[in-house]
Amino acid sequence: MKAVNLDLVHTEHPLYAKLQSMGMPANKTEQYRNFAIKPLLAQKYHFYNPEKSVPKEGEKLVITNGSVSEFPAGVQVRYESDFVCDNAHYDVLYFYSHAVSVQTIYVEVTRESRFELEHICNQAETFLPYRIVISTAKNIHVEIFETFRFDASEQSFVLYGLDAFVNTDTTLRWIRNASINQAQAKLVGTHRFDVAREGALELNTFDFGDANALHLYKIDLAEHAWSRAAHLLYANTQARSGNIIAINHNEVYAKSAQEARYILVDEAVGIFDSKIRVDAGAQHSHAVQNSKAILLSPHAHMYAKPQLEIYIDELEASHGATIGELDADALFYLNSRGIEAEEARKILVLAFAQSLIDSIGSSHYVEKINQAFEAAYYKKEQ
Amino acid sequence: MMQIKNLHAKIGEKEILKGVNLALEKGKVHVLMGTNGSGKSTLTKAIVGHYDVSVTAGTIEYKGKNLVDMPAEERALEGVFLSFQNPIEIPGVNNAYFLRAALNAKEKYRGEKETNAAEFLKLMRAHAQKLGMNPDMISRGLNDGFSGGEKKRNEILQMEILQPDMILLDEIDSGLDIDALKAVSQGINRMKDGERTFLVITHYKRILDYIHPDYVHIFQDGQVIKNGGPELVDVLESEGYQAIVKD
Repeated sequence: MKAVNLDLVHTEHPLYAKLQSMGMPANKTEQYRNFAIKPLLAQKYHFYNPEKSVPKEGEKLVITNGSVSEFPAGVQVRYESDFVCDNAHYDVLYFYSHAVSVQTIYVEVTRESRFELEHICNQAETFLPYRIVISTAKNIHVEIFETFRFDASEQSFVLYGLDAFVNTDTTLRWIRNASINQAQAKLVGTHRFDVAREGALELNTFDFGDANALHLYKIDLAEHAWSRAAHLLYANTQARSGNIIAINHNEVYAKSAQEARYILVDEAVGIFDSKIRVDAGAQHSHAVQNSKAILLSPHAHMYAKPQLEIYIDELEASHGATIGELDADALFYLNSRGIEAEEARKILVLAFAQSLIDSIGSSHYVEKINQAFEAAYYKKEQ
Repeated sequence: MMQIKNLHAKIGEKEILKGVNLALEKGKVHVLMGTNGSGKSTLTKAIVGHYDVSVTAGTIEYKGKNLVDMPAEERALEGVFLSFQNPIEIPGVNNAYFLRAALNAKEKYRGEKETNAAEFLKLMRAHAQKLGMNPDMISRGLNDGFSGGEKKRNEILQMEILQPDMILLDEIDSGLDIDALKAVSQGINRMKDGERTFLVITHYKRILDYIHPDYVHIFQDGQVIKNGGPELVDVLESEGYQAIVKD
């Protein structure tokens, strides 16, 4: 068994030099400052070598222990040993995951598609790194519903990531529904979304439970591209969980809107660290960023860091963050109609979450997300 | 129905109620009038157990119990209802879901069968129609984006569905146009059954022309300074509060 460190990387790829120069994340590494990455890397793991099995065609795209076991119609899947890597990514584990993944899964979506991407990890005490490249054809709509099934995966560490390319005039709607518990694998996802001219990314993430899980994103927007990101997080017990995002407006008329809502209970720690950068060549950008957190326990913590980095004058931009308890007047209003205190709290918490769940519209995944949220919330309450 | 005896209360460190004595008779409509800042709203908040108000002395006897010792939700379940002067907006909490939760809580408290969703929607639609409410308000967020008049109608809708015994209406007539005032007044009159008691706080005579009060009480500096009949309103209209204070 081995710990996760740079000694494991043996590659001639030019990015290895960059990886070495960045070094592995430590307690003071900005992105991981509140996540406690060091114990996760120091732990000893079995290193899993994914099998290259022949996947069967089915309804979902299923990745079992880093290998594709099922793929849906309209999607082409292949493995490549070389990888597409964004040299400007800010996260060292992005490069690390590329370097240590034995193979990269390439997923090509060539037509209008809607499918579930299910990650399965059923290995205990295992380090499981893998990467997925998703490319889309021009002028299509793609909806991917990402789920996780981590059974018998205690003391494991899943380090995965997406490099997603949203083609011109294409919309990629990504919906993550992750309910992971402390007893299951720890998860770090380190991603890049590249949105081409007039492309659109809808990133909706729903993370519930008491696991330690962190997702890091770099989103690049070309001319007239837009992204809308919504993050709902419910964490309890001693979970550390969150989203770290860099959105780059690289060209003119790019738009981004981001909203995060976190609900933190017990001693949970929530992380929302987001920076929107508007480049000197990105006139007429529109950027909006907002995060709200509710702390339901005195020992819950929220780290919110909304940032705008702007290099032009011609734009509209705003950002804000609020952290607080449930609104006392709202609670009293419900009490004054005979609704007992605990029930009133539940109603308000569900309402706080509901607006983001409903924001994914008429998608038939809304019901699944509602069920996952209520399961996490009521489990805590029982 | 309710006896308020020597009630003292403060908000923060400031004493607002300074020995309120008020008897509210079963089945009657009482009106409480007074200058701005005299403590009328604080009295209603003290009755319903608002967290802002600390009762420092006195009692509020209701159905043989002292309300001062009860949590707010229990007071409501015992039949005390306050229509708020400025009902709060709670986006995300569906109006129908909220009101059914309140009705079911009351039914559970009384050991009655809980109204199911279908029955409740039928009930709510019927009441909303009587109040001239837009049907889409049923499924909107609680008071979310409602106009002032819509919020007041929604308070009356809650009152009619929850069927409380002791009804406090804090400036229910403020900001209402003529049609809304009529609709709200009709809602109040529908609830008058000779058993329920009303305490109506208002600054204006016009709502009283619709709901016909039995008693009028004048409030000044945290106390009831005069009790009388509807004729007191005419004195106020013609001579103002100073005449009553001097008297």
